[in-house]
Amino acid sequence: MMAPEAPPPRVRDPYRFWRAALLGYAGIFFLFLYLPLIVIVVLSFNDSDATGFPMRGLTLKWYTRVLTTPDMLAAFANSASVGAVAAILSTGLALLLGLGFRHELRGKSAVLNLIIMPILLPGIVGGIVLLVFFGYLGLRSELWTTVLVAHVNYVLPFAFLTLYPRLHRFDRSLEEAAMDLGARPWAIFRHIVWPLVRPGVIATAMFAFTLSFDEFIRTVFVTGYERTIPVLFWLLIVDEIAPHLPAMAVVIILVSTAVSLAAFLIGRRADRSA
Amino acid sequence: MTSPASGKTPKPFPGVRPIGRPFWLLLPGVAWLLVFGLAPILFMGAVSFWRSSIFGTTPDFQFGNYARMIEEPLYVELLVKTLRIAALTTILSLIFSYPLAWFLASRKGAWKAVCVVAVFVPFWISYVVRTFVWLPILGRNGLINQTLMGLGLISSPVEWFLYNEGTVYLGLVYVYTLFMTLPIYLALEKIDPKLIEAATDLGARPWQTFRHVVLPLSWPGVLSGSIMVFLLAVSAYVTPRLLGGTSGIMFGNMIANQFLSNNNWAFGSALSMTLVAVVALFLLVVGRWVGIREVFTGGKG
Repeated sequence: MMAPEAPPPRVRDPYRFWRAALLGYAGIFFLFLYLPLIVIVVLSFNDSDATGFPMRGLTLKWYTRVLTTPDMLAAFANSASVGAVAAILSTGLALLLGLGFRHELRGKSAVLNLIIMPILLPGIVGGIVLLVFFGYLGLRSELWTTVLVAHVNYVLPFAFLTLYPRLHRFDRSLEEAAMDLGARPWAIFRHIVWPLVRPGVIATAMFAFTLSFDEFIRTVFVTGYERTIPVLFWLLIVDEIAPHLPAMAVVIILVSTAVSLAAFLIGRRADRSA
Repeated sequence: MTSPASGKTPKPFPGVRPIGRPFWLLLPGVAWLLVFGLAPILFMGAVSFWRSSIFGTTPDFQFGNYARMIEEPLYVELLVKTLRIAALTTILSLIFSYPLAWFLASRKGAWKAVCVVAVFVPFWISYVVRTFVWLPILGRNGLINQTLMGLGLISSPVEWFLYNEGTVYLGLVYVYTLFMTLPIYLALEKIDPKLIEAATDLGARPWQTFRHVVLPLSWPGVLSGSIMVFLLAVSAYVTPRLLGGTSGIMFGNMIANQFLSNNNWAFGSALSMTLVAVVALFLLVVGRWVGIREVFTGGKG
């Protein structure tokens, strides 16, 4: 004869309801985040001259148009090249600032305020101040002058804020040992500091690239005839009914997310190993 | 003022200084920020006192631009409306983001990493694209109208899904809510789970635990997120332009018009300086509760 098994003691979990509710809510939130993106992907294949529903068959022609129109290709080239240069410039400046910030010095607080100022400045004003400033200096709006400056202005604070903790976190003992052994500052940087911070610098530069690639509100005021991708996209939305807009949106989405994801993964790895 | 690095840096040996001369290391960045960051703002401040006419904008020192802004009710009303939209967007983002942040903070292991990245991904996409995506959802041929018509619930497309103040809220929350989610998530994650266990063991109901333990500890994240979202929303241009129609116009659109269509740079500069002043005033007020710079350095810097 078997003794009946005692039921396990009932543990009162007051959070069970809330956990379920939270899970449900998160599901709805993710739907809110992703449904519009899914819709745009579906529409990018719609064989219809009007953007929207109903679906009139599937086609790849909008992608062909996006990837072959000279305007589009020029804008992609502009965005990619100005993004790369802005990323290198702003990350370089941020790296120097970060190295400088390792020193104990007066006035650091004022410099930090100066660095953060471009983030606090409303984006639209950030574009207009350059339009007015360069306008009166007689400088024409061009990709490699006004747009580049606008992008570096915008990206520099973010580059500094992501790079600065990475410069501070690494172990200083190697550097100090090299110094004790009489290594010159440049040799210390070249052989010790740089190898340690390089993954963080690369992640920062890639992050900077994505910020520049997607920048719109400052660029739109100082772009001349050379358009970047977001500006061209904007002009297409505002000026005309362009059936290839969803396809263009998908291409932009793919580029932005791919580079951002790579930057995120590299950055995480760099932060872990540091 | 303590140095931003205090507490985090491993303490160097006395007398061993980091490499490089600080002056030369800081010079390029500071020079860039002074010439291309600060100088243009000061210059615009000067231009806001100039005079614009059909013959162009000429140097002057007069308060006509600011007087016009105060005298014509249109501008003050638009500024008030813009502040209202920014404030309500902030509150809506807080309400929608807080539970999500809690959801993220209470996941574990790989699942957590997946969820966090999944929240990030949409925000890696240009906000111009993310604003545009609502047009084919809410428009005449949009998903909602076509679905409702397909179901026979309506016979002709509903027009009011788009181009009003409500759509602006939807767009702004969609575009900026991560800036609320992220700092709250980071604050919640720092909370020691033992505190919540202890509260539960001591008989606190979930609501009491939230009210007296979780909420106070996440407060810095809430403040950081609110500051970010408010700043972004108050200077919005793209969302009201694409989704707001005429009734959803905001201050940023009025500024842009002075440069893109009216060609009144002096007045546009005055409007821009007003927006800068509003932002500065806001930061000054909230700066009493939270270090503004900590918002951007995540309390680490």
